[in-house]
Amino acid sequence: MRLNKKEQYLLGFASLLLGFLFIILLKANGVAGSQVTPQEAVARLIQTEQENQQLSIGNEKIKQELVKYDQGQSAWDLANEQLKEAQMNAGLIGLTGPGVQITQDDSKRAANAQEDSACFIVHEKDIRGILNALWNGGAEAIVVNGQRVTTNTEVFCSGLYIQINGTQQKPPYVIEAIGDTNILSGALKFYGWDKLGDLEQQLGITRKPPEVLSNIVIPAGKLRDYHSAKPTTEGT
Amino acid sequence: MHKTLALPVTVVAIALGFLISIQAQTQKNVSAAEQISADRMTQMKSVLANSLAQNATLQKDHSSLLEQLDTARKKVGTDPQLLAELAQLQMVEGTQAVEGPGIQISIDDRDKKVLYPLSTDDLATMINTLKFAGAEAISINGQRIVSSTAIVLSGSSTIFVNQVPINRADGIPYELSVIGDQDTLFDYFSKLEAPNLKQDNKTVSIARKTLRIPSYKGMYTFKNAVPVIVP
Repeated sequence: MRLNKKEQYLLGFASLLLGFLFIILLKANGVAGSQVTPQEAVARLIQTEQENQQLSIGNEKIKQELVKYDQGQSAWDLANEQLKEAQMNAGLIGLTGPGVQITQDDSKRAANAQEDSACFIVHEKDIRGILNALWNGGAEAIVVNGQRVTTNTEVFCSGLYIQINGTQQKPPYVIEAIGDTNILSGALKFYGWDKLGDLEQQLGITRKPPEVLSNIVIPAGKLRDYHSAKPTTEGT
Repeated sequence: MHKTLALPVTVVAIALGFLISIQAQTQKNVSAAEQISADRMTQMKSVLANSLAQNATLQKDHSSLLEQLDTARKKVGTDPQLLAELAQLQMVEGTQAVEGPGIQISIDDRDKKVLYPLSTDDLATMINTLKFAGAEAISINGQRIVSSTAIVLSGSSTIFVNQVPINRADGIPYELSVIGDQDTLFDYFSKLEAPNLKQDNKTVSIARKTLRIPSYKGMYTFKNAVPVIVP
């Protein structure tokens, strides 16, 4: 195809314009597609707002305490009241109430040659997952095989057994939690209970459905000595 | 010759017309979108600034209230031993801010080579290992870890610890502060946790430090549980 001069110019100009427009179009689309900053600001905002809320609650608590001092309430009574509360929070008091019970046991079926025997046992991760779901469901106290779950409780896999609070635990693992039984059951369902159900069907890991009990007794935990941490004198 | 040229020129002309119209449309949309997003951003910034100012006031109130409380307690002569015991217990349950020797762990998962960004499971595993190593106090991005702390994912990437989102917009994504025996903490974490993280190209740094860990700002509630009466 041979073109005369005029046509060549025309075609050349058209191509240039085309390229130019393409670039602008691409740039414009790029701009439209990159608006992440507001989302980040939202996350920061939620964080600050929630911290503010927590702080206001904390401040309110201190104010109430100050009022009690002003009213001349016995200092000894007040301190003891707080001590009781702190012991309760720290899990050093045995508790009783309605709750749920979850039992998990290793599979009774032996793994065949093609199967990984690690899939047939209950792992520490499964237990931790259940604990996490229960706390998220507002559990007030949790115990695993008689071991109260406190701030310092580890659920650590040591090969042949699972270490909880420094003790050796073997299956079956019985987890009991006190709290609102409806919310606890809901939280369990939401976070992974059904996934565990699949495992059970495939591999025979024993997993009883969560039992709702009207009265669970959870023993007190043990207080650990702290050597490194000291209370700060100021700030939160 | 002119016949053969007619077709390409027509095609080019059509394409050109098409592009120009799209261009005009997009330009209009983009400027409108930019306008909206800029507006939102300014609003957001003012709300955020407000919230941060409130936060500063609350923090100030809090420390002055704590001071008042301290003087009130001294005035009525609360048994110092009882108070020490109380502080000890509150350190354990987390409502008391603490300081002491420990390690600070920084994890950066923003590298493009990272296949799996840090998950809630990763965080839970790390905390468990640190507890195994005898940690006395732990915080993730400023949230104190207590017995009832749940670490959950909301949406596709927002991690909630103590019901508070901990994701950061800028800076190091995850910072864990841990107080306890420095050597044990360092040893356990660098041997048990760091290798897995590094394998996925996450940047991990562990520093021995004297740290301050904030208090747990949430609430312990006991609505269903009642103390067992010890005879």
